This record gives sequence, C-alpha cells and structure tokens, in this order.
Amino acid sequence: MPRYELTVILKAMQRPETAAVLRRTVETLFERGAVVRGLENLGERRLPYNISKHNCLNTHGGYFSVDFHATPNIVSGLLEHLDRDIDVLRPTVLKKDVEVSKAQCCGLQNEKAKSTSR
Amino acid sequence: MFALSISRLLLLAFPKQPVTPRATAQCIRSLKTSQQDPPKKDDMPIKMENPYKQPPKTCILCNITVDFKNVQLLSQFISPHTGRVYGRHITGLCGRKQKEVSKAIKKARSMGFMSVTLKNPQFMKDPDICGIKHE
Repeated sequence: MPRYELTVILKAMQRPETAAVLRRTVETLFERGAVVRGLENLGERRLPYNISKHNCLNTHGGYFSVDFHATPNIVSGLLEHLDRDIDVLRPTVLKKDVEVSKAQCCGLQNEKAKSTSR
Repeated sequence: MFALSISRLLLLAFPKQPVTPRATAQCIRSLKTSQQDPPKKDDMPIKMENPYKQPPKTCILCNITVDFKNVQLLSQFISPHTGRVYGRHITGLCGRKQKEVSKAIKKARSMGFMSVTLKNPQFMKDPDICGIKHE
C-alpha cells in the first residue's frame, strides 16, 4: 500500500510544460530513493481561492496526485524543493489512509448502546 | 365419659400434624399423568427469526469512504451562504463520520481543493442532505 501521497497544484500551463514539471518532480523523488507507485491527474480546474506564489496571482491550476513509498526523512527535503519550484503552487504530502473495514463502519448502533447503558 | 369425648373432639378439630386432604393426592396424580403424555407439537411456537426485524439504523455515509478530494460530497455538509461546516445535529451523521467529514473539509481547504468562505456554485444544485431551513 502506498505510504505517502503527494498532492500538487501546478500553474495552469500548456501540456508539454506540465509534463516537464511532473517529470522533474518524479525524478527528484527517484533521486531521494522513493518508489513511485502511480501518478493521477485530478483535472485542471478553477482554484477555490486565488493563490499567489512566487509573485504571481493564479486563478486556475492543474491538480495532480503521486502515490509513493518512501522513508520519512526525505519528506521535509522534498517539500522544501517543491516550494522553490516556480511552477508548483501548493505541494502537500500526506500519509495514505487505511480503508475502514465494513464491519466497523457506522457507530450509530454503538452510540445508542452507550447511551442506553448510561 | 363426657369429658373424654369433648377432648377427643378437640383433638380431631385441632390436630397437631397437618391433615393431608384427599384433593392434593388427586393433584399429584394429575401432574404425573400430564408429564407422561408427550407435548403436542402443533400447539408449540415454532422457533424462527423475528419476522418484524428492521434493518440496523445507519447514517447516510455508512460504508462510504470520505476523501478530501471528493469536494462535491464534502460541499453537501457546508453552508451555501458562509461555507461553514454544519454540526452533528444538522447533518445527522454518526460520530465517526462527522469527525471524518470535518477533518476532510479542513484538509481540503488548506490544500487548495475547497473554498473556505463559500460553497462552489457548481454544487449549489446538489440534493439537500442536511435539510436546514435558513430563515
């Protein structure tokens, strides 16, 4: 299972330029010893609020998600590197969530049991 | 003679040992006979699952994974006027799901997926889950 998920918002650019930025980021991941599992395009949309980064105000952006396995010590270095990148508006690294099993789901019954037992 | 007969009458009237009436002997006999007969299976209730059992009550997000990327789903739990997250008494979610939803909304806001002060106009026409009436 993927350990980390990098969600980047890139500037609204032409296709070859976005491809170049993504290539750069994935190559940095490889250099730092991460195993990239997959790359997803979440679409180019209008940003929910204007993001100004590197002296540039942006209203539209491309959303991309990269799953990868990595050691925890590269995460801070990676975020610094992405902050310096001009074309990246907002990088975020999160731990990948474990899916909840269906048996545990819905605490409504548990809540009712607790309230009646009180 | 007279005195003796009175005393005997008294003895009969108030015996020291309790007198077992004949009626109890008949009852004991009847109990024994009923146990010896086999119980009629036609009259006994058949064991079955409760036919009127209702399905377990679940909240609307039961068995649905809540993700920060699913902005449309998360936008159903915020106010269209201010973008604030609705409380548990409005959404009707169970404790676990309410926490997941509010955490996902906050994550999405900080990561640049969802707006803070407003609801995306594309999602204004979505079905109303919360059922809150703004006066």
